[in-house]
Amino acid sequence: MNGEDLIERILREGERRADEVEVFYARGLSVGTEIKKGILGNAEESEAWNMAVRTVKDGRIGFSATSDPDRWKECLDAALASGRLATPQQWAGFPKPADLTGTPSSADGDLVVAVEDAARMVGDLLSGAAEHPVEVVGGGADLARSYLAVANSSGIFYGMDRTVAAVSLEAIRERSTGYEFDASPFLAEIDARSVGEQAASLAARSLSGRDIETGRYDVVLSPVAAASLLGQVLLPALSGRNVKAGRSFLADKIGDQVFDERISVYDDPFAPGLGSTAWDAEGTPTRRLVFVEQGVLGRFAYDLKTGYRYGEGSTGSAVRSGGEPPGIGFHNLFIDGPRMKEPGDERAVWIHDVVGAHTANPFSGDFSVEISNPFWIEGGDLTEPIRTAMLSGNVFEMLAGIGGLGNDARRVGRLTIPSIRLNNQQIIGK
Amino acid sequence: MAEVRYYDIRCVRGEITLVDIDNGVVESAGTSFFDKAVIRVLGSKGWGILTRDHVDIDSKREVESLVEAASRLAAVTEDHLDLADAPRGVLPVPPLKEDPRDVDLEEKTRLLAGVEEAARVAGVGNTRARYTEGIDSVRFLDSSGNEYSYEAVRSGFSVVAIASRNGVMQMGSERDHITTGFNLRNKQDLGRKAGEVAVSLLDAKLPKGGTKRAVLDPELAGVFTHEAVGHASEGDLVREGASVLGGKIGERIGCEGLVIVDDPSLPEFGFIPVDAEGVAVERTEIVRDGILSSYLHNRETLAAVGDGVPGHARSEHGAPPIVRMSNTFIENGDAAYDEILEECRDGILLIGSRGGQVDPGRGVFQFNAEYGYLIEGGEKAGMVRDVSLSGEILSTLHNIALVGDDRKMSPGYCGKGGQSVPVSDGAPHLLLENATIGGRGE
Repeated sequence: MNGEDLIERILREGERRADEVEVFYARGLSVGTEIKKGILGNAEESEAWNMAVRTVKDGRIGFSATSDPDRWKECLDAALASGRLATPQQWAGFPKPADLTGTPSSADGDLVVAVEDAARMVGDLLSGAAEHPVEVVGGGADLARSYLAVANSSGIFYGMDRTVAAVSLEAIRERSTGYEFDASPFLAEIDARSVGEQAASLAARSLSGRDIETGRYDVVLSPVAAASLLGQVLLPALSGRNVKAGRSFLADKIGDQVFDERISVYDDPFAPGLGSTAWDAEGTPTRRLVFVEQGVLGRFAYDLKTGYRYGEGSTGSAVRSGGEPPGIGFHNLFIDGPRMKEPGDERAVWIHDVVGAHTANPFSGDFSVEISNPFWIEGGDLTEPIRTAMLSGNVFEMLAGIGGLGNDARRVGRLTIPSIRLNNQQIIGK
Repeated sequence: MAEVRYYDIRCVRGEITLVDIDNGVVESAGTSFFDKAVIRVLGSKGWGILTRDHVDIDSKREVESLVEAASRLAAVTEDHLDLADAPRGVLPVPPLKEDPRDVDLEEKTRLLAGVEEAARVAGVGNTRARYTEGIDSVRFLDSSGNEYSYEAVRSGFSVVAIASRNGVMQMGSERDHITTGFNLRNKQDLGRKAGEVAVSLLDAKLPKGGTKRAVLDPELAGVFTHEAVGHASEGDLVREGASVLGGKIGERIGCEGLVIVDDPSLPEFGFIPVDAEGVAVERTEIVRDGILSSYLHNRETLAAVGDGVPGHARSEHGAPPIVRMSNTFIENGDAAYDEILEECRDGILLIGSRGGQVDPGRGVFQFNAEYGYLIEGGEKAGMVRDVSLSGEILSTLHNIALVGDDRKMSPGYCGKGGQSVPVSDGAPHLLLENATIGGRGE
């Protein structure tokens, strides 16, 4: 039975036993080549198939998923059984068919999922890295194509293709390491050679860093470092579920100037990106959502469940990962605003990445992390490497008064973010 | 067909049961199913690896065609690997005290609700608890004629409480996971503890960053062991040149008497009866009496690097095996807890863990405590929050001044190469000299 027939069958069978049924279906093919000892090591190919079923009966939502088509009946039974235990809630139905506007693109017709192409990208990564005197200790290239569909008993059946091309490289020189990566739906956007060169350059240039004294310094977070910290702290605070549950620092602050007026935060599902889509993981039409405009908090993100429960309505922000139930997330999130000419013009500590961002306190925003590839920056140039240090601060306080945003926005997963200059931050030397 | 020096197939079919209760609302309570297979072929150079759903391992034809497809992948590799011979054997899986499959979902939900409710002490505004149960049926066969199967059962929960007052929000969290049976009865104490910690953290201060003496509790000292030593001793990182511990076998990296072990055969949360390549598991002393003595290996890294013990290959279902830790710990020393506080005099006591991370090539790690106390004149003083510790692998073990006599293991999950596997870490209380403490207090 192919996926489409099976979806139909589950919907018909489920409708007999519940008020409503939804099926989320994903299948994909990916290949990957991994670098070992500076040459091509493993070659991998993965085929995945997953079906997730939700049932609703008297406001009780049930869920199950399976990667085994033969177990679809068990999966439907499990969804119904789980619904019997769920607390009933306000529920006004799965979305009905809608005219989907816009033509978001997250699939590249020219991307072929072939191991030979991934192997060629590894060749490009390595030739880029060869421009600096380093050892390559890891990395690789991945190509993937998937098909996602959501269907429900209200008559929706949406399907879309997605592609991803991703590369990464990890280099070392003595005890100095460098890591760079990039991912895009579009193969032509990936410059593997340049990613390899950048990673190698970080490792080569960070060698023989000088110690730094504990104290307060102006810092420039690269887009990678900024994305790590904001991803752990800011993103969960914008989730309507965390807001309503009293787990968001930003709750009760709608209309307030919460951040510097040079910061806007929005989700644009129609921009080209890894999460571009005209419908969310529950089949709700997506739209551009401005969460923060010039520092003023405007709204939060909701899925159907949280939206119905609190009378807010879904904002088309449902996302899924693996075989899990849908949750609130973002499609292509942008941190944006007016840019300064060069955030590293006046002397500051430039930070490429941080170690341990996931240990930041997502509720208070407090963090203290080890920094990676720090340099003194002046006149926009990385002048001198710093050996090692910690950075301590608070993400919400940082965003309330920034020094400025750089012109170097880049995509880090589903987040597009520029470098951020922050004045007077706490650095702990060794 | 392209050359096939070796192949293996590992199938994991199973069920995952999750219950999620958020502020008294049962958000979800249900079971999902998976059936994943990984087929590896070692060609003339390296591995070709296929991942598939729902493979019939008993069908000779299906296996042959998968091996052929994987061999075509292997043909593009350039890095020549060999596999070391390794001892075979499967340990018996510890018996289940109570099989979680004998407890219905309704009772699991009710018990979890009890833990979640217990966390709602005065001052707590939000509570959330999650129960996680995994039943894995594992089957393995390889071209050398080895074959095994076993069942792994994991059951446990986490509970988080958030207290807030005047715009300040603080969190307390507890978790407990085991491989030896159903693990949700009589656990309200842990819920209550999460709630109490969250409330008391409202009055805790932010510590001042800098270099000072630190006492680590067994849970945090376990994470320290895992981040500071465990990862850097993984044979794949050593082989790639990505670990500062490469080439350091036989060298002193820590104080005399220090013993650091990874032991997949212990019936703790990281237990495996056999590794993911069919190799027998055994206790591995990474550090013996302060000297680096063994790396953690799989068959290919043992062949390439030597100096260590195989049986450390693990994989998340549907992912290829890589070198991983299991149950990692520092052995007991002889210092009593009071003696450690007394010897510390002025410093900081750090408790619990919010996780950590390491850059093994640079030899730098960071990890975070759930909370702590200042130590003044050898006595516990004011509570502190949001405090991290960082250090350098090659010097940090020399800074262990005292090793306690009260080792305890804590369960958790460890991520590497995009795969998450169950592990446990542990240590007795430790006194560290010259610890770099990150905190934003003035």
